[in-house]
Amino acid sequence: MKLTRFSPANLARVSDFDEWFRHPFSGLPSLSQFFGALPDMFNGTGAGRLAADIHEDKDNYFVRCEVPGVKKEDVKVELNNQLLTVSVEKKEKTDDGEQSYAFTRSVSVPDGVKGDTIAAKLEDGVLTVTLPKAEHRKPKTIEVA
Amino acid sequence: MNTCCTPTDTRRDTRVAENESPAVKPRYFVDGTTEAYEVRVELPGVGKDGVSIDLDENLLTLRAKRKPSAPAEWKPLHRELSDLDYLLRLRLNTQVDEAKMSATLADGVLTLRLPVKEAAKPRRIEVQ
Repeated sequence: MKLTRFSPANLARVSDFDEWFRHPFSGLPSLSQFFGALPDMFNGTGAGRLAADIHEDKDNYFVRCEVPGVKKEDVKVELNNQLLTVSVEKKEKTDDGEQSYAFTRSVSVPDGVKGDTIAAKLEDGVLTVTLPKAEHRKPKTIEVA
Repeated sequence: MNTCCTPTDTRRDTRVAENESPAVKPRYFVDGTTEAYEVRVELPGVGKDGVSIDLDENLLTLRAKRKPSAPAEWKPLHRELSDLDYLLRLRLNTQVDEAKMSATLADGVLTLRLPVKEAAKPRRIEVQ
């Protein structure tokens, strides 16, 4: 195997993405266009942001993220004030070093979601968060005193 | 194992050959020792039976089919993830022992172990 030295001119190489990810200028718009050749996982997302699909059916909303190589313990799903936050943090130790990465994504959740019955499932590197819709938001009558 | 011959522009629906469906190139990492190479390929959304790996001479072709991303009755509200299948082609520059090749898929990551053929391992030659 040949080792190819990392050079900034070689931006399209996907394996160098991690370095670029931590690059101090990675957030600049002028540089962000270089990321065009990167895989779809990062499309439409800024640095450190997970790509997400949102679906709905009759009873639920579904939020899906791709998190390959991530274990159940490394995923945190939180609902705080109508804001669903998925964060993934992972540390990998190898013989000659350690690498870590963190991604996070927040999605605002519509009214009428039952916050206490949200479920999350990790399968084949895809995280699916199920947000059940509330039965009915019952109209309230207020008695005039 | 340094040559990747998947078309580089992975964002567009790249038709590799006339009869091949559009595919994206997955992220992958290669580690190696003198004994074996280990290739880790990120394939989120792929089930165990969706992966096919072929080694033809020195060209390793990996195709992975995604499971249907969402049931038909789900209505998409917002989409960022790709639906395309994965295709990765690597040209090996080391002889690999085909019989001992192994692959495992866990958590959306395929780990491919490619043991180096005895004949290709480094040897020490004694001076007579």
